[in-house]
Amino acid sequence: MNTVNITIDEKPIKAEKGSTIMEAALANGIKIPHLCYQKGLSIAGACRVCLVKIKGRPGMTASCTTEVAEGMEVTSTDEELNEMRRLIVELILSEHEHNCLVCENNGQCDLQDLAYELGIDKIRFPVNKSVEPIEDSSEVILRDPNRCILCGRCVRACAELTVQKVLDFAARGSKTYIIAGLDQPLVQTDCVSCGACVQACPTGALTEKLARFQGRSWEFRKVQTTCPYCGVGCQLKLNIKDDKIVKVYGVEDGPDNKGHLCVKGRFGFDYVHHEDRLISPLIKRNGKFEKASWDEALNLIVTKFKELKNKYGSDALAGLSSAKCTNEENYLFQKLIRACFGTNNVDHCARLCHASTVAGLARAFGSGAMTNSIREFEKADVILITGSNTTETHPVIGDYLKHLATYNGTELIVVDPRAIELIEYAKIWLRQKSGTDVAWINGLMNVIISEGLYDKEFVENRTENFDKFKKVVSKYTPEKVEEITGISKEKLVAAARMYGKADKGSIIFAMGITQHTTGTDNVLSLANLAMLCGNVGREGTGVNPLRGQNNVQGACDMGALPNVYPGYQSVSDEQAKEKFEKAWGAKLSPKVGLTVVEIMDAASKGKIKGLYIMGENPMLSDPNLNHVREGLRNLDFLVVQDIFLTQTAELADVVLPGVSFAEKDGTFTNTGRRIQLLHKAIPNIGDSRDDWKIITEISERMGYPMVYRSPAEVMDEIASLTPIYGGVHFDRLEGQGLQWPCPSREHPGTPYLHKDKFTRGKGLFTPVDYIPPAELPDEEYPFLLSTGRILYHFHTGSLSRRSKPLDSIAPEGFLEINPQDAEKLKVKDNDWLRVSSRRGKVEVKAKITDRVDKGVVFMTFHFAESAANLLTNDALDPVAKIPEYKVSAVKIEASDYIDS
Amino acid sequence: MKLRDKEKDVIALLSEAQRESKHNYITEEKLKLIAQEAGLSYSEVYGVATFYSLFSLKPRGEYIIRVCDSGPCHLMGSRSIFEVLEEELKIKVGETTPDGKFTLEETSCLGICDEAPAMMINEKVYGNLTPQEIKKILKRLREKKW
Amino acid sequence: MVKELKSPVRIVLENCGKINPESIEEYIAQGGYKAVNRVLQEMKPEEVINEIKASGLQGRGGAAFPTGLKWEFTSRAKDTPRYIICNADEGEPGTFKDRPILEGDPHKIIEGMIIAGYAVGAHYGYIYIRGEYILSINRFQKALEQAEEHRFLGEDILESGFNFQIEIHQGAGSYVCGEETALMDSIEGKRGNPRFKPPFPPSSGLWKKPTVINNVETLANIAPIILKGADWFRGFGTKECPGTKVYAVSGHVKEVGVVEAPMGITLRKIINEYAGGMRQGKFKMAQVGGTAGAILGEDMLDVSLDYASLKRKGLVLGSGAILVMDETTCCVDMLKCFLNFFKRECCGKCVPGRIGTEKLLEITTSISQGKGKEDDIDLILQTAKVMQKASLCALGQSPILPISTILKYFKEEFIEHIKGRCPTGVCKI
Repeated sequence: MNTVNITIDEKPIKAEKGSTIMEAALANGIKIPHLCYQKGLSIAGACRVCLVKIKGRPGMTASCTTEVAEGMEVTSTDEELNEMRRLIVELILSEHEHNCLVCENNGQCDLQDLAYELGIDKIRFPVNKSVEPIEDSSEVILRDPNRCILCGRCVRACAELTVQKVLDFAARGSKTYIIAGLDQPLVQTDCVSCGACVQACPTGALTEKLARFQGRSWEFRKVQTTCPYCGVGCQLKLNIKDDKIVKVYGVEDGPDNKGHLCVKGRFGFDYVHHEDRLISPLIKRNGKFEKASWDEALNLIVTKFKELKNKYGSDALAGLSSAKCTNEENYLFQKLIRACFGTNNVDHCARLCHASTVAGLARAFGSGAMTNSIREFEKADVILITGSNTTETHPVIGDYLKHLATYNGTELIVVDPRAIELIEYAKIWLRQKSGTDVAWINGLMNVIISEGLYDKEFVENRTENFDKFKKVVSKYTPEKVEEITGISKEKLVAAARMYGKADKGSIIFAMGITQHTTGTDNVLSLANLAMLCGNVGREGTGVNPLRGQNNVQGACDMGALPNVYPGYQSVSDEQAKEKFEKAWGAKLSPKVGLTVVEIMDAASKGKIKGLYIMGENPMLSDPNLNHVREGLRNLDFLVVQDIFLTQTAELADVVLPGVSFAEKDGTFTNTGRRIQLLHKAIPNIGDSRDDWKIITEISERMGYPMVYRSPAEVMDEIASLTPIYGGVHFDRLEGQGLQWPCPSREHPGTPYLHKDKFTRGKGLFTPVDYIPPAELPDEEYPFLLSTGRILYHFHTGSLSRRSKPLDSIAPEGFLEINPQDAEKLKVKDNDWLRVSSRRGKVEVKAKITDRVDKGVVFMTFHFAESAANLLTNDALDPVAKIPEYKVSAVKIEASDYIDS
Repeated sequence: MKLRDKEKDVIALLSEAQRESKHNYITEEKLKLIAQEAGLSYSEVYGVATFYSLFSLKPRGEYIIRVCDSGPCHLMGSRSIFEVLEEELKIKVGETTPDGKFTLEETSCLGICDEAPAMMINEKVYGNLTPQEIKKILKRLREKKW
Repeated sequence: MVKELKSPVRIVLENCGKINPESIEEYIAQGGYKAVNRVLQEMKPEEVINEIKASGLQGRGGAAFPTGLKWEFTSRAKDTPRYIICNADEGEPGTFKDRPILEGDPHKIIEGMIIAGYAVGAHYGYIYIRGEYILSINRFQKALEQAEEHRFLGEDILESGFNFQIEIHQGAGSYVCGEETALMDSIEGKRGNPRFKPPFPPSSGLWKKPTVINNVETLANIAPIILKGADWFRGFGTKECPGTKVYAVSGHVKEVGVVEAPMGITLRKIINEYAGGMRQGKFKMAQVGGTAGAILGEDMLDVSLDYASLKRKGLVLGSGAILVMDETTCCVDMLKCFLNFFKRECCGKCVPGRIGTEKLLEITTSISQGKGKEDDIDLILQTAKVMQKASLCALGQSPILPISTILKYFKEEFIEHIKGRCPTGVCKI
């Protein structure tokens, strides 16, 4: 680090060159008063209370706007400065009547603190009396202009962190005020309810609406933990009063979120205290659930599983682990299934989202995860984003991408069949026909090779199989690609040049790429593209799958997969098997187990008899739900462990109440391979039990004791058996966590993979040809249905639908349909439609929008009332066994359904 | 040859929108259009439009009477000019006559201090004002068909 | 037309009223565009800068920064493109000295801008004319068109290979946009909030690119300096402040108008010799430099009105506006007027500016209504002092000067008001 020597109040300080006096002071624990400065936002220099004196310079200087210089001698406080600050704060206090008595932020208000520190005992100025109404249209944010000091932190947070630009200053001079949109109530604006403005506000002008009158700052216990929604792994600070989560802040030092959160992560945690929480075990008797004691429930489970195992063999049992549960829980779960049940029939919903990523990247590079770190995106010159509606599915990363495109000069290329929000920030948007990804990626590479834009040295030294690959790619001329994908050849060439010429090109993708029968091929193609341009193994480059669930990366890492033990050690590898047999003291099956969809299929065929599901809801998440129901109903015995009675739990014989993220210790591994801690913040709700303890209880009662005193001990065992987690121990994870591979206690973790060598040695080019999706529209089913998520809900909604603010903002599902199609079908906005496929039908309201192309419709799968997965196709990718959620054929008719 | 795309000059777009409006203001619809054209958010456009005193987001009169009240004009009697105008038009500063003909505004220095007290009505400058002169001007404008 | 008093020297106002401002031919006939020709054909950019530096020309907007130095900084900035801005947002109350040039001799400004562009390697120029100056805008637009037709603007000017274009940006009603960085934000289509400095425009100005921003009057001096030389220019004015100044005289004098005179002329001379003396009453005070300027009492009538002399006395020449007030003037009432201006025109960004201007006006108003308290005078002074030290831009830093100087002379009158009496009878108590 390039430093300069300065002194602040005679204390010598080494300050980073180019930093401001304010930053240098704060970094060294010197508090210079400030109101408009906020770390992570641009500088305003508006409040003027941070003025300091610099020796040799006349007057006073704002410390937030002034860069440090060698030898600078700063006085941060003296009587003259305090005199000046007092008068300024008195001015602020005279602008409105600041009534702290009933202010939500009493006790955590920068203005209040400053007034107190400066010893202001009276305000010499006449105090303005006018009182403005509070604006409360938003479900989550209250705006009280009477407490606003116009520091502009909310404006900058909205513009720079969320990049929504909903807030701004209006009018001028003493009439200046903060507006939303065209001076509208928030609810009428583009506000995405992320609450960045609330967190930024130094006073009580912006507060959490639902936390109002729920507690004073000093009453809160604050617990840092990891967000349980998506895979970004945002660090949260829960504010707890009387064992209830009242409000949530983003942790400024959170390595990947840097204080930012989305609406779910800030306002979506009331589900934890929802009245629907399961508070005791349930046993189904005569088709009805009855409360049961833990002993009763566990004994029944053990008896049944033992019985089934004895009667039908180990492979008649299966388990679905959970991408929502911790690493420790996933580890124990797969250990239970493997070592105690004696089968490899364990899988989880990664199968449904990124199985093809794991398969594809493992094949090409040797490691199936995000190659680089989230915060490296700012180092990239060009980012290609495909099949990821990032701003809704990974909002904190989405906002970060918007920020980079807006303020960092990063060029975005978006390839997506839908007109997602990110296209507004993209230099180039390619709109491909759904399911034609291999074709356009090959097309890009065709151009890159023919124009000589590829990294010959990298290809030569770091990869293999280039020639065979090149041969296949040579067929994908821009003309041919245009024919297949609908992308104009000019745009394709422009995109190829942009990515091909970038010094650092990064690729981001998600389920738009993976959820296809050609999912693995799609991923392999992206891997080919990155290798072709030498965009692997360097900072700011890479192939970066954004993983959907909070711990889907971890659940995979922990071996909640039918073919691998923890750390991707193959069950068919004799050495690995021996290692685990020895460690676990049990005989293990060498046979690769069944995947999620295969388990459901086997259940319906009577081959799987007993199933243990922890924290998953296949009755909403899996494709072809009618078939799933058939399978689950056909089971002899189904155990579901969850925090709510989900659609799946309703079909169970025994339901076990687990706990939410707020009640547990453990770790999640985010999409950037970062292992982060969860801290137990509140006691278990009702008679619910820690999920890891439930697993060990079952195991013990089945005659296979697993004894641990804490999740930390479980992690110690994981570390001893999993080389990529070899150095991961709880005592190292506070703060920034660790990114795997972390092979030893001394290892600092790995921000990006494949630096000088691919995990598998050389990067492998795989020639891939375009294959159309399994089911395309035809005369009977003329529309192509694609599915995905929306910002306000998560996965099957078992959590987010039980959050009052989230479900109030987005209470129902919808079908996006193009205006031209709507006109043809004589459909108006909000009309009820019946959508049917070869597998099922749902009733859903129409949302007319050109986000979708003609002939294409889109639905989310969050809503049980209009479950998109009744329609989706369970055709599988042959390698990864991931279903083709993104393409199925449907027909649309008017419906006489009436809203209940 | 243009230095930049005029379409994106939001202040010019706002001026134009206001000029096109008979009532000397910028409608919400126009604001939205301008935001789209200039690639700005609604709040940004609103923030700009309300910063500059020549813009209005509320309908105003056909004639905007802007009387200077800065030093030189103040010294030369602009207060009495306001008084006459308020009396004649029966409105206060910032208001519009019920017939939608006149809006009375106070403005900072117009740079015509050599003719203080002075005012502008729409784009025309009137200097060396006296109460009699003002009455004459108003009479002329009242009779004039827009 | 702006009324011009009988100027003793005419450099910048040379053509005003003499030629048809809408005729480029007349301008050329007076030797117009000769300077551009000379610069493009005969001089290297450094030579132009050196000539301006040698002339000692200082910014006529009020800050008095050496123009040549400003150009040099900009020419040395690494970033491109670079921009020239002419600040024609004349809004300082009592100031109408740019308007005669804009209305009467627009080509002179264009010429100055082209030369500035050549000197610093800029190919784009903006002139920011306040929206109220309708005639100026129209005349300037016409002048630009004519200059383009005559190929003084555009590509390859006079076959020199140099390209330069100018665009007019109309203000929309904001005094603070006359502040150079606020003006740039305004051109960029934003709210006209002044930026904090550094960085200064020569390194980071319009669109964060190196920018020269000069006042109209400054640019009107360029062509004459190029044609007649730095030494000639130094023959006018004082050693520290060479050249002339266009003073704008208003208020209680017999003749109001602009007068171009050598830097360093005294207030007494301007009032008595050019403005024909007081209109009727006795001289009470004058405010020099606009509303942001100081109040000068009788004892200051002989002070030399140039940047350096006034600075030594803790005063400013500012824009060169001179508002003369006789004994019928109430100083509380006038201060209220000045403060009302600051409050109305403040951008609202920084606390001292936004709330300080509001509170100063509130307190002064209550004094004028006889509701003041003895402490109020102190509070006004203290507040203005803090504003001077702490405000983000010159607007908030300014009130101290009129306040402290008016109190220096007329504190008693304020105390009279507090006691319930307006000595001049202006305030209704």
